[in-house]
Amino acid sequence: MKVRGIRLWLARGLLALLAVILLLPMVQTFLYSFASVSEMKAYMQTRGSRDETEWMEAHLSPRQISLEQYEKILIRDHTILRYFTNSAEYAAVILFGQMLVIPALAFGLSKFRFRGREGLFFIIILLMLLPFQVTMVPNVLTLRFLGLLNTPWAVILPMLFAPFYIFLLRQYMISLPDELLEAASMDGAGPYRAFLRIVLPVCRPVLGAAAALSFAESWNLVEQPLTYLTGCPEWMPLSTVFNQLARENTGFEFAGAGLYILPALLVYLFFQEDILSGIQLTEMK
Amino acid sequence: MRQAWVFLLPGLAGLLLFYGIPFAGGIWYSVTDGSFDNQFVGFDNYLNVWNNQMFQLGLKNTLELSLICAPVLFLLSFLLAAGLHRIRPAGAFFRSSVLMPYLMPSSAVLMIWLLWFDYGGPVNRLLVSLGGARVDWLLGAELRAPVVLLFLWKNLGFCVIIFLSALQAIPESLYEYATLEGASFRHQTFRITLPLVIPSAFLVAILSFVAAFRIFKEVYFIGGPYPEEPLYTLQNYMNNMYSKLNYQNVTTAAYIFAAVVFVLFGVLFISQRKALQRLNGEE
Repeated sequence: MKVRGIRLWLARGLLALLAVILLLPMVQTFLYSFASVSEMKAYMQTRGSRDETEWMEAHLSPRQISLEQYEKILIRDHTILRYFTNSAEYAAVILFGQMLVIPALAFGLSKFRFRGREGLFFIIILLMLLPFQVTMVPNVLTLRFLGLLNTPWAVILPMLFAPFYIFLLRQYMISLPDELLEAASMDGAGPYRAFLRIVLPVCRPVLGAAAALSFAESWNLVEQPLTYLTGCPEWMPLSTVFNQLARENTGFEFAGAGLYILPALLVYLFFQEDILSGIQLTEMK
Repeated sequence: MRQAWVFLLPGLAGLLLFYGIPFAGGIWYSVTDGSFDNQFVGFDNYLNVWNNQMFQLGLKNTLELSLICAPVLFLLSFLLAAGLHRIRPAGAFFRSSVLMPYLMPSSAVLMIWLLWFDYGGPVNRLLVSLGGARVDWLLGAELRAPVVLLFLWKNLGFCVIIFLSALQAIPESLYEYATLEGASFRHQTFRITLPLVIPSAFLVAILSFVAAFRIFKEVYFIGGPYPEEPLYTLQNYMNNMYSKLNYQNVTTAAYIFAAVVFVLFGVLFISQRKALQRLNGEE
């Protein structure tokens, strides 16, 4: 019995260590963001040395707490803030558009019976499985036809019909009991009212999960802007510029990263339980 | 039925406009030469793209990276889920910290990553203190290590949660009964756990590959827009062709890759069927 106990604590220790490693990049980013600009600049300059005798300083927290980096990016230099607002606009518009289109589509695919319904859903699953390298081609052809390439709409419009969220909501709605809608129609409510007044409120957890996951996706956009916005760099989201910032060594890039992580962190903490139950729904039943 | 269309129409119209119609129409690009009188060339484009060196490099790297990332992600998440399932009390904190990276913008974390894997950075310090030698992680083929690890960091949680919920859905009484019957641990694993987990495992396998095909993101974060040869992926090839306005090659490459992806998923699907049949058939 004693040996079992030791092994259990050993396993717990290992898992705790792993948890710490998983959280460390975020923690370290926040810690570095409170260092002074000059301290960060000096530290980042010690990178890239291939001298066998030299090490980078072990450096977890700043020597002196300073808000200088935040002052720089929020008040004096607006480069990061501009990209940040781009990101926020993408995330907001995409989320809003998805809310108009996807719940209705999922409702139509789960609570009405018509020929070809299963076939339609199967095609949506296939679309979900295709990598971006493949789906970018039909997207580009349509965007070019509509003359929207090199405008923010090129990034936004295809995302409004993202198959994964259709799949997620449909899986939840199909498991709702039919009696729910029957009771509604007995009360004289048509399908529109039943959808708005009954189905949507009941789906709140999965809607929360889908919204959080979609936000995380549009907050970390890379492929779409790099492909569709080559001609208008001023519309790039912040996610695409960190690589360059790290190379340039501006001294305030960690405040930018901290600022970027913060909304995602809040969304995660707020929707955590919804996300956990939402992900479990991806199982095919 | 007419009411259904009100719900379906906006979404279906978008899916048709951005995916359905151009997907079918794109076939036209892949079999014409794109010149002024746009002649029909049959499978010439397919042969050209297939024989193109950069396409081959991109396809090879994309498949290699996916075949590293997806199986490692799959195994690691299963082991973690099994571990979490056995020591429940510590689970809640861990569950939320393992999932958190999935929601975080990995673009903001890449700078920490570059520091960790610097020649004089903490990863090499750890290696040296364990008696190893320093590795130049940010150069050449070694670049793949930070890329794969960033991918794992981000995607691990999602797969762990799916496996964990599958394990937790198995009724405890099945094991108790089996123990009473004198079934060994191995017997229980093969007769109870595996058959009940295989459908979820199939899903995780598929999702691991779906995620792994997006490895371009991590490649871009670590390797920049023009990565070295070991990191040149299919997406780099597509972006390159696209910026040259070579729509023939872009569409052709996409259809070739789609075929490869579907063959891979077909193989996964068939092996899931076989595994289930074998496990159930032995009873």
